[in-house]
Amino acid sequence: MDTSNPNLPANILAATERMAAAITSSEPFVVFNNAKAHLDNDSGAQHLLKRLSAVQADIRKRQMNGDVAQTDLDLLRAIQREVQSNPIIIDYSRTQQEAISYLTQINQEISQLLGVDFASLAGPASC
Amino acid sequence: MTQLSMTDQTITFTSESEVRQAARDFARVMAESVEFQAFMATTEKLRTDAEAQHTIQAFQQKQRSLQTLQMLNAVSAEDQAELDQLQQAFFSNPTTTAYLQAQENLIAIFQASADLLSQSIGLSFSAACGPGCC
Repeated sequence: MDTSNPNLPANILAATERMAAAITSSEPFVVFNNAKAHLDNDSGAQHLLKRLSAVQADIRKRQMNGDVAQTDLDLLRAIQREVQSNPIIIDYSRTQQEAISYLTQINQEISQLLGVDFASLAGPASC
Repeated sequence: MTQLSMTDQTITFTSESEVRQAARDFARVMAESVEFQAFMATTEKLRTDAEAQHTIQAFQQKQRSLQTLQMLNAVSAEDQAELDQLQQAFFSNPTTTAYLQAQENLIAIFQASADLLSQSIGLSFSAACGPGCC
């Protein structure tokens, strides 16, 4: 972690680091990072995701030219089914959702005390 | 701390109550910051300043009334001049400018801490918790 962040006063920096450490070692995040490591190290799952991404990009390109065939869509659906039934990917997706849900609860805890929505104000400018 | 066995190893987790305590400590430190205090003070001033409220309402009302015409690029010169004048009044009112500056400063400190948090935990805090875009 970058401890020399010039934009934060020392006490806020320290409180942020303490909270980050607590979240990282919480059960939802340990389980999520474990699932992420499995995904990163599983060549079969990685190959499947890359293939899905490539086919999606190809279909997007073809759509712009009005050149999408039924066989392209069938291939996309077949790969999507493979992705949706891969246990490593399923586990990663489920644990990521649980980690996100946990972050939402933490944000509620912070926002209740502040009286403003911390995450909404901290987000990048929208639209 | 909570211990749980995952496959062949025992992992120690930070307990739910400890994480929530760290979140409350973070919120308390943030609430005591100069930026947050200034934001609260200027918010209250804005709420009770009748002239500033009038300036905001007049500008927003005119803006809303011209929204469709602006999308069609069909605003008359008179309407545009009035909108510009109201906008100038909005941005030159000391209460509204103090509020906007305080809000900007608060957002900067919120973003800096959320960025640091996101880097550390490996997920974007604001994307995970914030509202969807548009």
